[in-house]
Amino acid sequence: MKRETREYNYDWNIWTILENAALVCDGTPKEYRSLLSCIPHFGSALDIFIRQGEPGIRFIRLVSQYIRNCITARERGKKTALTSFSMATPILYALDIVPICLEAFTIFGTVVLKRGTGEFLDYCCEIGFTETSCSSQRGALGAYLSGLATRPDMIVCNSPGWCDSNANSYAFASAYLGIPFYQLNYPSEVSGKRSSDYHRQDYRHLISFLEGHTGTRIDTARLGSIIDETMKQDELINELSDLQMLVPNPVPNIYDLMIYGAKSCANGLPELTVLLSSMVDRCRENAVKGLPGNSTAREKARGMFCYIDHYTTDARLWDWMDANDISHLGSILCRYWQADAPYAGTHDGEGYRLDKGSLDSMIDTLADMTARMPMVKQIRGPYDAPQMWLDDNLRLARLLKADFVVYFSTVGCRNTWGAVKLLVRDLEKQGLPSLMLFLDAFDDRVMSWDAVTDRISEFIHVRGIA
Amino acid sequence: MIESFREVARSIGNRYVEEWKERGRKVIGYPCTFVPDEIIHAAGMLPYRLRGINTTTLSIGDTYFGPVICSFPKCILQLAGQGGYSFLDGAVIVNGCDSMRRLDECWRKAGEDYPGTLPGYFRYLGVPHKVADYSLAWYADELRAFVKSLEEHFGVSIGTPVLRRSIRLYNRARRLLIGLDDLRSSPETPLSGEDAAAVVLAGFAMPREEYTRMLRKFLPGMEKPSQVMNGRKRLMVVGSTSDDLDFFRLLESSGGVVVSDTMCFGSRSYHDLVDEKGDPIEALAARYLSHKFCPRMFGYYKERLAFIHERALSARVDGIILQNIRFCDLHGSENGIFERDLEARGIPCMRIEREYGPLVETGRIRMRIDAFMERIS
Repeated sequence: MKRETREYNYDWNIWTILENAALVCDGTPKEYRSLLSCIPHFGSALDIFIRQGEPGIRFIRLVSQYIRNCITARERGKKTALTSFSMATPILYALDIVPICLEAFTIFGTVVLKRGTGEFLDYCCEIGFTETSCSSQRGALGAYLSGLATRPDMIVCNSPGWCDSNANSYAFASAYLGIPFYQLNYPSEVSGKRSSDYHRQDYRHLISFLEGHTGTRIDTARLGSIIDETMKQDELINELSDLQMLVPNPVPNIYDLMIYGAKSCANGLPELTVLLSSMVDRCRENAVKGLPGNSTAREKARGMFCYIDHYTTDARLWDWMDANDISHLGSILCRYWQADAPYAGTHDGEGYRLDKGSLDSMIDTLADMTARMPMVKQIRGPYDAPQMWLDDNLRLARLLKADFVVYFSTVGCRNTWGAVKLLVRDLEKQGLPSLMLFLDAFDDRVMSWDAVTDRISEFIHVRGIA
Repeated sequence: MIESFREVARSIGNRYVEEWKERGRKVIGYPCTFVPDEIIHAAGMLPYRLRGINTTTLSIGDTYFGPVICSFPKCILQLAGQGGYSFLDGAVIVNGCDSMRRLDECWRKAGEDYPGTLPGYFRYLGVPHKVADYSLAWYADELRAFVKSLEEHFGVSIGTPVLRRSIRLYNRARRLLIGLDDLRSSPETPLSGEDAAAVVLAGFAMPREEYTRMLRKFLPGMEKPSQVMNGRKRLMVVGSTSDDLDFFRLLESSGGVVVSDTMCFGSRSYHDLVDEKGDPIEALAARYLSHKFCPRMFGYYKERLAFIHERALSARVDGIILQNIRFCDLHGSENGIFERDLEARGIPCMRIEREYGPLVETGRIRMRIDAFMERIS
């Protein structure tokens, strides 16, 4: 690792950049444009959000505030937990624990830092972590393992059962740093009494673990207010999913990243509700006018991402699609499977419904929610089993009227690479043009961004999609 | 006797399987040590641990699996697609790891394209990744459902008495193998690591009664003075699955003898016994799930480190080879911390990444081993 990389902490560095980035919106448009030229390596990424107006600015502020909370938690007497994007954080906030979402920090570093996370990815390998591990954790993990980020007090992961690579990263961090570890483990079926009972028992053990490591007990009133907020957020996210079904799609492409990026940081907190409300307002306006969310005001094609997005090179994926009149219909990461979600409900018990009736019902339904977070729900069992990956993609593609499906991943994703050829074959059989690219969404060294756009363009052309 | 073990260990089909099939009996394959052999045995069938040896191409494996998947399940699928497992009447796939669990779908789909290569009985067994009262209960339920499905599909009955008998039989063989480990740990280890691996591997591919009889005959001969060590260094092998005798031969070709291991085709498969009292399903669930030696059981690093350290001390090893198959991040990453912690305890370690299957990289591995032997000499 270069000496200058060690000069500032990874998380602190990202925070100062985003904190200042949030301030650029306070000036006039002319001042803003002048400022962009002063931040050449980050300007284009920042502009993707600022161009969205109020929702984009709120997003930058929310992320900045979240990172500040992470790096100042200790001095404010709070505990921190290193956790995954797939962990529903309301329970952590209810116990006054600040969740440090590893994958979110990898995305922030990849998008914001001039040299991305390359040196941190490689640092993990230097100390024994395999180079074939998933880069979505490895990017930020290198900072935490090297001591260049806030040391977490505990580790809570909920990936065993659906992603070995993810779980292994957290288990490695726990063993390497000597930090307490708790795993929520998932059986291969998502619904049914047997799975539900398992989820709930495991979740109660998690709460005991958290209470033991914080010395606090769950405050029913506080948990209730966080659930209230979460319920509002669920409704807003469902409305965005509803709106995405319209042709043209009135939801701007970048909202895909904003939904799951913000939810990873502030699930259950009021600032997320405010952000989502502003996003819904903007999309409603577009819908009333019959406009697509694209800045070009044209929609030539509708693309759905059956797994994750692409985060390198200034987060250009969404902007590139926008510039090419292609609507981004979301990825696996922005589907949460609330019972009222437009895509849920075909199978009994597939979606969750939060229940504030009692402390027990709050805990149980939070367990249900956590068990249906992105990836937790659909890649835990055979890809072609009911309620799993194929089922979900077919249903979503039909609802969203997708013209094509794209699979982006990381080199470390054993689980989906083990089944994606089968998935793509089945989607094609159902008439859905599907593109599988061998790239790493967090590491341009596997396939350059230019090669990615060439491949997508060629695919769209050859298949006569647009 | 050792020749018989070697013969079985070096092939997929063997004369014991042929004789078994000639008597009209069934064979059930499984890829991972989290499937209790005792249940299959109690059904009157031969539990057969799936392997991928002797593959010469991955044309079928690569068609269904993606590019960054462990070569072990790919080799199994390759053999299956080529008809190498045509003697199987059934297979049980388990979520040992993410590469292995996808063998379920890849084999099913390959079975559509290569008719007749998917066994008539094909089952997925979900195994939790943690040990808790509710995960034990879950796993016990999975085992009960597994018993029921075997009974229904094959028209057999797996009663408690017969299951108990199978448990006792498997425990007997485990005790004998633990005895073999004790002999290997002695200063004058009686056999090479390659031969020890052959003895253990044979047990996964032949009737347990016959195997136990052979072990009983074989072990007394191992108590005589031996010239195997002859000043060579004592090695231990840790990490990913390895069932290739040539790999052990390669490791021992530079002046070492493998005297201990913690691998799933090795000591991990027999190290602990099943409780012979109480409900047999509960006892099997407790033994197999509490079997935390595989890194697929997340959060048990300290227990695994202690296990390796204890075995290394008792076998008086001069060095440990921490190996993993490429894309096996579970073993590969944990090997990284083992190296740190075992070296800190004064045990020299070498990490090596390799492919499963034919030793196409013999030169590279040989060079690494030579360098390691030089270091510990």
